[in-house]
Amino acid sequence: MLLIVVYVVIGGLLACLAAHLLPVGGAPAAMGTATGIATGTVQIMLGAAMTGLFTAASVDTFTDSILLVALSGAVGATIMICVVMFMANIIYGFGAGVVPISGRVDVDPITKEPQAPYKTPQTDGHGVPIVVFVSGSLGGFIGGFGGALMYYTLLNYAHFSAGTAAIGAISIFVANAILAAYNIRGTIEGFHDPKFKRLPYALVASFAVSLLCGIVVSLTAVLGGTL
Amino acid sequence: MTVTPAVVEEEAPAKKGLSFKFPPEETEMGIVAGIIGAVIVIFTGLPAVIKGVGLILVLLWGMDSVRKTSKYGLGTGVPSIGVLGTGYGVVGAMMGLAVAEYGRVGQIYPAVLLGVIVMGVIGLVSGAISNSEKFIAMKIPRLERGMMELGMAGTLAILLECSIVTGSLNFNAVVNQVMNTGLIALMFIFNCFAMLHPYNACLGPDERRERTRMCGVEISGLVCVLLGFAQLALGTSPYGPLDAVSMIVFGAIIFAVFFWKFIKTCMDEAYETVGTGMIKTIE
Repeated sequence: MLLIVVYVVIGGLLACLAAHLLPVGGAPAAMGTATGIATGTVQIMLGAAMTGLFTAASVDTFTDSILLVALSGAVGATIMICVVMFMANIIYGFGAGVVPISGRVDVDPITKEPQAPYKTPQTDGHGVPIVVFVSGSLGGFIGGFGGALMYYTLLNYAHFSAGTAAIGAISIFVANAILAAYNIRGTIEGFHDPKFKRLPYALVASFAVSLLCGIVVSLTAVLGGTL
Repeated sequence: MTVTPAVVEEEAPAKKGLSFKFPPEETEMGIVAGIIGAVIVIFTGLPAVIKGVGLILVLLWGMDSVRKTSKYGLGTGVPSIGVLGTGYGVVGAMMGLAVAEYGRVGQIYPAVLLGVIVMGVIGLVSGAISNSEKFIAMKIPRLERGMMELGMAGTLAILLECSIVTGSLNFNAVVNQVMNTGLIALMFIFNCFAMLHPYNACLGPDERRERTRMCGVEISGLVCVLLGFAQLALGTSPYGPLDAVSMIVFGAIIFAVFFWKFIKTCMDEAYETVGTGMIKTIE
């Protein structure tokens, strides 16, 4: 029972961290005036985590290793988020005619390429440049890992049925991702963004909420007679 | 936010009988919907249509909380708070279903309300943390209350939907017929939409609570139609297929009436409605 609470808390914290690493563009990105994918944190995170759950659920049918299941979820979520970022770049590059450029830093921290000269004045960057792509892939990996960890815990330690475990994992994941989204407030590019420094606040909130959710889920398992 | 319903209400819609002011105030709405929803959840032997009425009230309450919370600007879009409410709702419903067997009298399950209360507490805690200066510092007035109401409304809505589809609140029955058939995913998304879509679609400087709520009732009607089809397909109702069919008809009528009302109100309150016909070619 303690194991369930611990794993749910770890999964929630990973979800919160992952939401901070994703390239969230929001409404400005839909007009090509901000870096990232053109939708909110929750939608991106939910899409990635659900894909991760599908891969995790299919791997779970033939293995008992928690690490393998969690890693497969992570890989699924990473593939999903990478495809989305790649397609966003194609649309921005060949459709809108803007180059992928970061708006928050002058020099790309990974490739050392200058960013500021290519940025359209009055905008906040465009598309998904390299550092943002790396950060986003990392976010997908961590988020998928957290989601799949929760799924495995609910399925094999709390002995829920597959459907219940999946929807429970998604619900707790979503609550944590949304607390992170409130901390971000709008757009974020990744680990090089100044807003990333606000991460500890969200982690505290996420810890409290996932602890309560973990207790509720383990009580459900005990009282529902599945444990 | 300068929402002044007192002034706007006296204009066009009042004359044309298109105003929709069942419980007029937000607090009254919460109390009425909470009590009626809780009573209907407990008595699972009721026909589906009555549960549908409860569902509409509860979803309307959730929509009101979404509106109340997000009119100050969340920074992440209105959908996030609706999804949060449903996410809490699923966790709370699982908790409620787990304890449902305790203190059961025939078809009456008073213990499920424990899940609602627990989710209210979790919502209160998360609201307090989000609003606190030390942590996320959202600085939204009454966010604690809004999140608490969202958790409770979400839980009641999911419990009511489970009760409509399975005809009881037995943990194993719900797991077999709602969770394992994948219906829960549909319920999740439809609940989200019933809560978040009305305010998301209507928000703006001229947003009016009654008009937004018409949109909310309309979507709840669609949810009832969907649940009626699910009930018909699963064949779980104690009253036979007639129950499911009446649910579908009820949902369709609610949808049609409120869709018409909503469109009419929008057209009346717009500055001017100009028909553009089909898509025009550029001259």
